[in-house]
Amino acid sequence: MNLHIRLEAAKNALNTLIKQPVATLMTVLALAIVLALPVGLFAALNNLQQLLGHWRDQAQISLFLHQGASAAEVQNLQALLERSTGVVSVRYVGKEAALTEFEHHAGMTAAIQTLGENPLPASFVVELNPLAQSPSALQTLVASWGQQPGVASAQSDLRWVARLQAILALGKRAVWILAGLLAVGAILVMGNTIRLHISQRRDEIDVASLVGATRAFIRRPFLYQGLFQGAVAGMIAWIIVAITVTVLQGPVERLAELYGTRFHLLGLNSGQGLILVAASALLGWLGSRLAVGRHLDHTFS
Amino acid sequence: MIEFINVTKHYPGRHHVLREVNLHLHKGEMALLTGPSGAGKSTLLKLLLRLEDVSRGTLMVNGIDVSTLGRRHIPAYRRRIGVVFQDHKLLMDRDVFSNVALTLQVGGLTGRQIQSRVRAALEKVGLGDRAQDLPAVLSGGEQQRVGIARAIVHTPEILLADEPTGNLDNSLSTEILDLFRDFHHHGATVLVATHDQSQVNRLGLPVFHLEQGRLHTPEEDKA
Ligand SMILES: Nc1ncnc2c1ncn2[C@@H]1O[C@H](COP(=O)(O)OP(=O)(O)OP(=O)(O)O)[C@@H](O)[C@H]1O
Ligand SMILES: [Mg+2]
Repeated sequence: MNLHIRLEAAKNALNTLIKQPVATLMTVLALAIVLALPVGLFAALNNLQQLLGHWRDQAQISLFLHQGASAAEVQNLQALLERSTGVVSVRYVGKEAALTEFEHHAGMTAAIQTLGENPLPASFVVELNPLAQSPSALQTLVASWGQQPGVASAQSDLRWVARLQAILALGKRAVWILAGLLAVGAILVMGNTIRLHISQRRDEIDVASLVGATRAFIRRPFLYQGLFQGAVAGMIAWIIVAITVTVLQGPVERLAELYGTRFHLLGLNSGQGLILVAASALLGWLGSRLAVGRHLDHTFS
Repeated sequence: MIEFINVTKHYPGRHHVLREVNLHLHKGEMALLTGPSGAGKSTLLKLLLRLEDVSRGTLMVNGIDVSTLGRRHIPAYRRRIGVVFQDHKLLMDRDVFSNVALTLQVGGLTGRQIQSRVRAALEKVGLGDRAQDLPAVLSGGEQQRVGIARAIVHTPEILLADEPTGNLDNSLSTEILDLFRDFHHHGATVLVATHDQSQVNRLGLPVFHLEQGRLHTPEEDKA
């Protein structure tokens, strides 16, 4: 297929769109808003995930060692812990350090001193990124640490991690469903717009068909119209999300400060933005493909 | 070469519009198609363009069996034909140039080829200086000539016309039909439906006469 025929069709499509600026703008804006909603929600979920990542020190696991654990056992254990998935840091707390910490926190120096001997075990404090793996895998991992030689017991509270992951999974699925529905909506909006264009250009289509235009020739400008409008709508949706993130940035930072942390909202990165534009162009193309299939092909029967 | 062999056509739910039509028009010949209103002239031309399907019989055009031609091959077949309609079927929102260029764009020609060929076709029909005008500002005869330019710009092997002079006065009709004859002299096969008896007499060309769907060939008339 010759390039100049495609260029001709693309020019034709652009001309048609530019000749009706208001109608084109309305279609594109409607599509952009329809797309911005699920994309914005995806961005919100991303931010939530990032925020929860900040709290990963809460996924802290203490492995208490036997009083008689050997130096080799301790070394092997440390190496194992550092190799494991999702482990952010491993800290060894010796018996003396544990005692100092305990005294410092509890202020029970006198009580400890009456025992005469340091009763506290040495331990490893492991910080985990709770989102690095599934809750069940995490449970299994922690349980396996508990079985290691030299380990007396493992203490962890991973239930909140499971809950958190469940909530995130639910949110993601809900957004996917919404995105699917809105994608269908976008296709229908575009289909209807192209249907109008087709009926406006019925004469042209009929005459072209009389002088021997192929189906592909007649379809192409309409498909390009859908493609172009979809792509522009994707760009506008990207801009809408970017503006929303910018507007919310200040308040979110102040809120984070009140909680004593720092948090920076994330928009779409350029890769995600390009995927949005491409997906949107594809939706526009699909919409016009639908209209063309329903309203054009009978010309040739 | 146009060859109708026992061609019958009926529209859905109607009695036959064409019955057992046999018509032979050799390559490079020009003939007229006459008959009263409703006789089936337009239908016969529509069969030739494959705008309608043959109900029974065989229709051959330059070696192609049009009656069984697959849908996919119809556009390429139509591009070998030029057609002029009584109601000219011009696009009123496009200038004369674009109207004529459509035939070539559909054929996949490039901008420069289109430029020179459209100019030449417009010169041929005497509208060389009207390329930028919209059809609405042209007279009826001029509009019809734009339609002719559109039909001949790709130098088709076959030229069909359905009452091209229907609502034109006599001198304009003469002018238009002479254009067709000119094109025929350059080697095209030409078939023109008309009920303009004075032109039929003047041109002295072979005449196919349709009456209630039956065709009377020139040979029969002579016999
Ligand atoms: N699409 C159609 N469906 C049903 N009947 C049709 C259709 N097209 C034409 N006819 C009928 O077929 C008959 C022949 O029509 P056609 O248009 O071929 O006649 P014609 O010779 O061109 O007449 P005119 O000189 O008035 O143009 C007419 O009775 C017409 O009503
Ligand atoms: Mg007719």
